[in-house]
Amino acid sequence: MRLKNDSDKLKYSNVWVVAEVLSGKIQPVTHELLGAARSLADAKKSKVWAVLLGHNVKEQAQLLIPYGADKVLVVDDSRLSGFSDELEARILVRLIKKYKPEILICGATTRGRALIPRVAVVSECGLTADCTELSIDPVSGDFLQTRPAFGGNIMATIRCPFHRPQMATVRPRVMKAPDADFSRNGEIIFEEVTESDASKIKRILEVFHSDDVAVNLADAQIIISGGRAMKGPEGFKMLGRLAARVGGAVGASRAAVDAGWIPYAHQIGQTGQTVQTKVYISCGISGQIQHLVGMQSCNLIIAIDKDPSTPMMQMADIAVVGDLFEIVPGLTEEIVKL
Amino acid sequence: MRYHIENKIYHVEILPPKQSTEKLEADLELFAEKYNRVMESGYCACITDNAMGLLAFQGHEIINELNLKVNPEQVMIHLNTFHTKSNLCEILDTCMAKGIKYLLIISGDGSDRLPKLQPADVEAEDVQSVTSVELLRYIKRHYPDTFTLGVAFNPYEPPEHEFEKLKRKIDAGAEFIVTQPIIEKNAIVDEMIQKYPDIPVIVEAWMSKKLYLLSDAVGYPIPEDTEFDPIKTLMQIHRDYPNCGVYLSLLGFKTQYHLIGETWRNI
Amino acid sequence: MKIVVCVKQVPATNDAKIDPETKRIVREGMQAILNPFDTYAVEEAVQLRDKFGGEVIALSMGPEKAALVLREAISVGADRGLLLSDRAFGGSDTWATSYVLSKAIEKIGGVDLVICGKQAIDGDTAQVGPGIAAHLDWMQAACVMEVCDADKDTITVKRMHEDGYDICEMSLPAVVTVVKDINTPRVPTLKGRLASDKSEIPIWKPEDIGAQSSKIGLDGSPTRVVKTAPPPIRNSVTKKITGTSAECVKELIAELRLRSIL
Ligand SMILES: Cc1cc2nc3c(=O)[nH]c(=O)nc-3n(C[C@H](O)[C@H](O)[C@H](O)COP(=O)(O)OP(=O)(O)OC[C@H]3O[C@@H](n4cnc5c(N)ncnc54)[C@H](O)[C@@H]3O)c2cc1C
Ligand SMILES: Cc1cc2nc3c(=O)[nH]c(=O)nc-3n(C[C@H](O)[C@H](O)[C@H](O)COP(=O)(O)OP(=O)(O)OC[C@H]3O[C@@H](n4cnc5c(N)ncnc54)[C@H](O)[C@@H]3O)c2cc1C
Repeated sequence: MRLKNDSDKLKYSNVWVVAEVLSGKIQPVTHELLGAARSLADAKKSKVWAVLLGHNVKEQAQLLIPYGADKVLVVDDSRLSGFSDELEARILVRLIKKYKPEILICGATTRGRALIPRVAVVSECGLTADCTELSIDPVSGDFLQTRPAFGGNIMATIRCPFHRPQMATVRPRVMKAPDADFSRNGEIIFEEVTESDASKIKRILEVFHSDDVAVNLADAQIIISGGRAMKGPEGFKMLGRLAARVGGAVGASRAAVDAGWIPYAHQIGQTGQTVQTKVYISCGISGQIQHLVGMQSCNLIIAIDKDPSTPMMQMADIAVVGDLFEIVPGLTEEIVKL
Repeated sequence: MRYHIENKIYHVEILPPKQSTEKLEADLELFAEKYNRVMESGYCACITDNAMGLLAFQGHEIINELNLKVNPEQVMIHLNTFHTKSNLCEILDTCMAKGIKYLLIISGDGSDRLPKLQPADVEAEDVQSVTSVELLRYIKRHYPDTFTLGVAFNPYEPPEHEFEKLKRKIDAGAEFIVTQPIIEKNAIVDEMIQKYPDIPVIVEAWMSKKLYLLSDAVGYPIPEDTEFDPIKTLMQIHRDYPNCGVYLSLLGFKTQYHLIGETWRNI
Repeated sequence: MKIVVCVKQVPATNDAKIDPETKRIVREGMQAILNPFDTYAVEEAVQLRDKFGGEVIALSMGPEKAALVLREAISVGADRGLLLSDRAFGGSDTWATSYVLSKAIEKIGGVDLVICGKQAIDGDTAQVGPGIAAHLDWMQAACVMEVCDADKDTITVKRMHEDGYDICEMSLPAVVTVVKDINTPRVPTLKGRLASDKSEIPIWKPEDIGAQSSKIGLDGSPTRVVKTAPPPIRNSVTKKITGTSAECVKELIAELRLRSIL
């Protein structure tokens, strides 16, 4: 809602986390967000609420408390088994009106990024997309949300001074999940789906789960990238095996693409894709600037090269000096053993 | 191509209008003006294909649309691997119909906006990705004796790898070679010329005063304030490479064109 | 089927100069292009029209020169373009942008389907598509990778998710946002472009679509960008790992575990 005056702000309190449920299971991003919400709520001297929408999820509500939830709002209904944006949005809008949270955060997952814009529009409040940093402005008490834009080339800090609640989607695997504390206490509140919530909603006909969806670069959390040093398509198969182990995707420098060893869709850089993964493992890529602009916003950069003086090795967080044809298979093997 | 070198015929780069242009009509007019000027001088016009991955209109469609005169010895079209199959066929068919003979086959710069030829499109199921090599083979197979095909050589890339790629291009049927821009005698280019004495080589001369822009094209850093005199450099390149043709990139039609008329002849 | 396809003009990252100091893209002087994701939206709209009949209207909010991206849409098959351009629209965030677009869609009238790109490459929010659906209270499907079927009342689409995909049926009118897997967009030809240059692109102002002034532009935007900055310079300490390959592997694994990546 748009605030009429400053004292309106006082009607809103607490930090909400909308839980992410896939195949009936709470996803790790929810724990990360509970951790982030805890520090926001501490700064505001308010409470953390988790909102859990799904089917047969009642038992799992309890599991949110150890990660920092003080209250858990649960809506358990068979109509919530698939992802119905319209239905979930109406429920959230209704709960927001009823309980008036000051802040609401949700994972910037495909679901979160489809659902929360709908909630924000109807609730008449702002929404910051895909945040990587959250804090409370010590002066105004407003929620400060920082996010990359322009393919990671700019960081924008955003606030919503005149609207409540303040909403953000938060990139998965950026915030640190707290250790579970099973001694924490919390309250569980049940809410229902109303008839009007469930009118005019899509019909979900089929759902396909697959563990080995070929991860594409844009959605990957880990990218294993190879360059000219791979010597041929076989080299990329070796990277593929490591990627499969860690659930990542394979990237490439232009030198490798131009040599015909891997399709253009894998090229990272100025004339390829821009990626911002959590982990980027560069295998024999020297790091010319046209490549760097496509991946320098990744969180953790690991470089493997026999030459320690390359730009990539200089900029990496971890630089492994050695022959990648020994190190990559070695790494794959050791990970299998873990 | 030998004919071009023996008769001191320059290859003059002309960039087609970008798709993002707000003044297409004016850009087309300018293109036609440059093209016709190159024709009158007896040089060879070289038309680029979505350079730097930025969408531009295609040489063959402009020639067609504006009904520009084609002398087979005086036009070269760049053709990269960022096209759909139907696009590719349309380009090749139009070139054939128009009598355009010289094609420079390159892998090219991609972008989000450009489709990429798939291996099956060029009947190359055994590769992961289509490069100039597969495209060359395809054209040779389907348009035998129609075109004279050239390829690019980049002396700034690690030589071992670049020579290996060049070998595959030559094996696939490349008949001439165009280098990336050089600004002085280059040992790698010399080595290449020695390796392939029977293949005509065109060296590219950088004609922009802004030398640092060259780093965008070749991928290696050049400081912004480097002094550079394009015409002097061009004359030196002629002296260093008397048996090579010369491709002029980013030639200034207003400021430089009138100066190049005699440079080569006077050497 | 009457289809509105929403297109945005964005700076071309390919055209970017790279600042040698900060190693970041310099935005000044970049060319403006059609948002790459939107080319998939236009292509899908054109293919659906060719299959089911009807009309494709390209719609954009932006400065007057954004007419160019509408012409591009027309040059690859859209029937006509509409531009929302007015100073009062300036500074709109996704809330206000999707409000303006939804008012225009209402004004066009009789629209069955709105297609948006997954996201714009500058703002990068992916919020406008679902925002339009919310303003209109229509059904929505984001990240659509295939339109499986459609008739005059319903559309069935395949949506991409992190853990697979699903197939869902929506009643029309509805909004979808599309990902790259959905099709291969055609590239405009010179002929198409010359023809599109002749088409008239009407410009609509707030009053033409009955937009409330308190809901558009900066006034209508709940979010405020308070600061933009280059991303933090990478932490310059590089942890160097050397030794035999086996030692390197061991140490790397230890590092990865320390950072809870494994
Ligand atoms: C207009 C333009 C656009 C471009 N766009 C892009 C782009 O989008 N993306 C891109 O990537 N490039 C792009 N480039 C190309 C870029 O400039 C570089 O040429 C390219 O990135 C180099 O690729 P590389 O690092 O794989 O190869 P190299 O630079 O040759 O590096 C190979 C590295 O592998 C190491 N190595 C070799 N063998 C081994 C081994 N056994 N074990 C460990 N290390 C080994 C070497 O020490 C070396 O550091 C562009 C260039 C231009 C001009
Ligand atoms: C650095 C920066 C950060 C920003 N962060 C936020 C933020 O967190 N929250 C927020 O609300 N706003 C934000 N904005 C404002 C936002 O970019 C604008 O509101 C913009 O008008 C739409 O958002 P987008 O570019 O992210 O588009 P997206 O939502 O990513 O675009 C998705 C699709 O919607 C359609 N579309 C989008 N814009 C238009 C248009 N003008 N005309 C026609 N169709 C269109 C296209 O089909 C497009 O593919 C930010 C702006 C900047 C510069």
